[in-house]
Amino acid sequence: MKKKKMIAMLLAGGQGSRLGSLTSSIAKPAVSFGGKYRIIDFGLSNCKNSGIDTVGILVQYKPLVLNKYVGTGESWDMAVNDGGVHILPPYAGETGGEWYEGTADAIYHNIDFIDMYDPENVLILSGDHIYKMDYKKMLKAHTDNNADLTVSVIEVPWEEASRFGIMTADEEGRIVKFSEKPKEPDSNLASMGIYIFSWKALRKALLEDHADKESSHDFGKDIIPKMLAEGQSLHVYRFEGYWRDVGTVKSYYDSQMDLMDDLENINVFNRDMRVFSNSNMYPPQYLGPNANIGKSMICNGCTVYGTVKHSIIGSGAVIGDGTVIEDSIVLPNAWIGRNCRITKAIINEGTIVEDNAVVGSEDGEVIVHGNARLTV
Amino acid sequence: MKTIGLISANYDSSSLGELTKDRTMASIPYGGRYRLIDFALSNLVNSGITTVGIIAPYNSGSLIDHIGIGNPWSLGRKTGGLFLMPGSVYGLKSEGSRFLLRDIVKNRKFFERDDADFVICMGSSDVWNIDFEPLIKQHSESSDPITMVFKKVPRGENHHGYFLETDEDGKVTSIAREGFGWSNYFADCFIIDRDYMEDFIDWFGALDHMDMIDILRDNLDTIDIGTFEFKGYLGKIYNAADLLKVNQAMTDYDIRNEVFCNPERLIFTKTQDEAPALFLPGSDVRNSVISAGCRIEGRVENSIIFRTVNIGKNAVVKNSVIMMHGEIGEGAVLDNVICDKYVTINEGIKIYGGDGDPIIIGKEKTI
Repeated sequence: MKKKKMIAMLLAGGQGSRLGSLTSSIAKPAVSFGGKYRIIDFGLSNCKNSGIDTVGILVQYKPLVLNKYVGTGESWDMAVNDGGVHILPPYAGETGGEWYEGTADAIYHNIDFIDMYDPENVLILSGDHIYKMDYKKMLKAHTDNNADLTVSVIEVPWEEASRFGIMTADEEGRIVKFSEKPKEPDSNLASMGIYIFSWKALRKALLEDHADKESSHDFGKDIIPKMLAEGQSLHVYRFEGYWRDVGTVKSYYDSQMDLMDDLENINVFNRDMRVFSNSNMYPPQYLGPNANIGKSMICNGCTVYGTVKHSIIGSGAVIGDGTVIEDSIVLPNAWIGRNCRITKAIINEGTIVEDNAVVGSEDGEVIVHGNARLTV
Repeated sequence: MKTIGLISANYDSSSLGELTKDRTMASIPYGGRYRLIDFALSNLVNSGITTVGIIAPYNSGSLIDHIGIGNPWSLGRKTGGLFLMPGSVYGLKSEGSRFLLRDIVKNRKFFERDDADFVICMGSSDVWNIDFEPLIKQHSESSDPITMVFKKVPRGENHHGYFLETDEDGKVTSIAREGFGWSNYFADCFIIDRDYMEDFIDWFGALDHMDMIDILRDNLDTIDIGTFEFKGYLGKIYNAADLLKVNQAMTDYDIRNEVFCNPERLIFTKTQDEAPALFLPGSDVRNSVISAGCRIEGRVENSIIFRTVNIGKNAVVKNSVIMMHGEIGEGAVLDNVICDKYVTINEGIKIYGGDGDPIIIGKEKTI
């Protein structure tokens, strides 16, 4: 087996409870996004586009849809002999089994997995970020700096810096300070939760962290501060471009609308760093004789008889005659009857909306309607 | 009862002009994202048939590119799976022939090495969604070695192909090239006992320049043939007008639901994984089928738009089929036109085909 320069470990175990009913039956990375994608597509496609063919996906919370969706990884060209995608749930050993207790703990429990490939470096990713990034460039910076750890950072507005994990770096990009949600930030470089570790340094840090009974086993809270205190070589990698964490309903809604409204910054239509998905087999969409479509994104398998304005209609959704959908996102396979009015709402996957229903309003917050009825 | 499938793709139609210049009918793009052969393949696998042979013609590049090792149809398997087999020399076939005996004789190993009871033989250019299980059941309960599938059509004289006359027991009494009034239109599909197929090859091998259906026609006094009526939609394509009509059938509510939206019998095809279609201000789309990756700023009516087609501002596309990667410039007007892949229509160009007589614009042309 050829030694790998880098494999990726994608953290996909969190519940994402701030997304409410969107994650009541599936893990956040498996939540529908942009009509035909699921959130995890962005991370997996970045891996593919960066030449990474070995990815461990750490799952814990309701992983069934995610498992089925990722499948063999074929959709991201990862069905390869020497590597591929691996779904990694917690498992039992000689002394019993434990749940993953934190981001670092999840990786700790899979040290054997990483040792199987024994890569030079390990890329740690979150399964809930929307962005296009070439990790090759980050790896080059990491190697050039001879770093133990490289943290990808993005400039945020100073007034928002206190919401993030902030890295303070010297002129050469060497991290001198890390502060989690600082009240008085002295830097506006926010950690994106994307790390490249040399495997040797990470392995050592994980073993030590595991032995530390005080630790919460979190990369941001425990591993990075400790490595920094020990004087290891930690660097920032400045990412410029579109990057969103879709942790809340609002950010989930806004970043999907960006796919349609902010083509300059995040573009799923061009072939540059293409976003791949494991799409179901749907026929092309049908727009009926009275359909009225304003600026919108509509997917395969949809049937639209009504009016759709500034909205995203997910795969296989049906929109009845006389219905008006505005500033909304209809997730896959939702079925919306006749003469409904859907405004500023997210209609959950597979939800049935009866005729004449009114959901959401122009002035209110974006709401999520219905419980997911998943068909994979 | 084990059944295997044999799809004949070694035929084209000169009446489709440039569309079949470099490809077989089997690989004609259809319905926004499909190729015609998807229907034969999907119908077989959806009926539980996991060993499928395809008789490919010499110009099978586009076909092989589309089918690969059969993964979209779950035919990339250890047991059975997909068998691509060479067809015989081109040019010997007669128009409309589907089952040239020479193709079958040359590939007789496909039948000999399998232990299946039956073989379903079918063409590769029909748009339909058929469950073969009732056919297999009826055939296995009958003593006839062959059962042919037909659909009743009005005005048989308007159709190309074969017509079956039957007696009161549904046995074929004649096979004709013409039908008049209500006719039993042969669906280019029959089921045959596998061992009978081997015998048939032995008996009639000397007539291998003939179509198997013509040999059956000439020997009805000695061969018992049963029939099976298919009652669903059958889209047959012989010429450009058919191609437009059968594409537009996708806008029919019942046909769309029957053929394309049956969750138990999906039509599978090679996935290109395009982004969703993007509609921009100015788009006005009515009664049309739009595929992934399109960018629509103009008007579209009664048309089928394939993936990644751009339709510019104030452009009008009516009663037309625009195949993948088409570029329709601002203000262009197309009515009754079929554009092959990668066609560019420049700004302001207007093209009007006849009603039911569409103009075909060949692959990669710029107008």
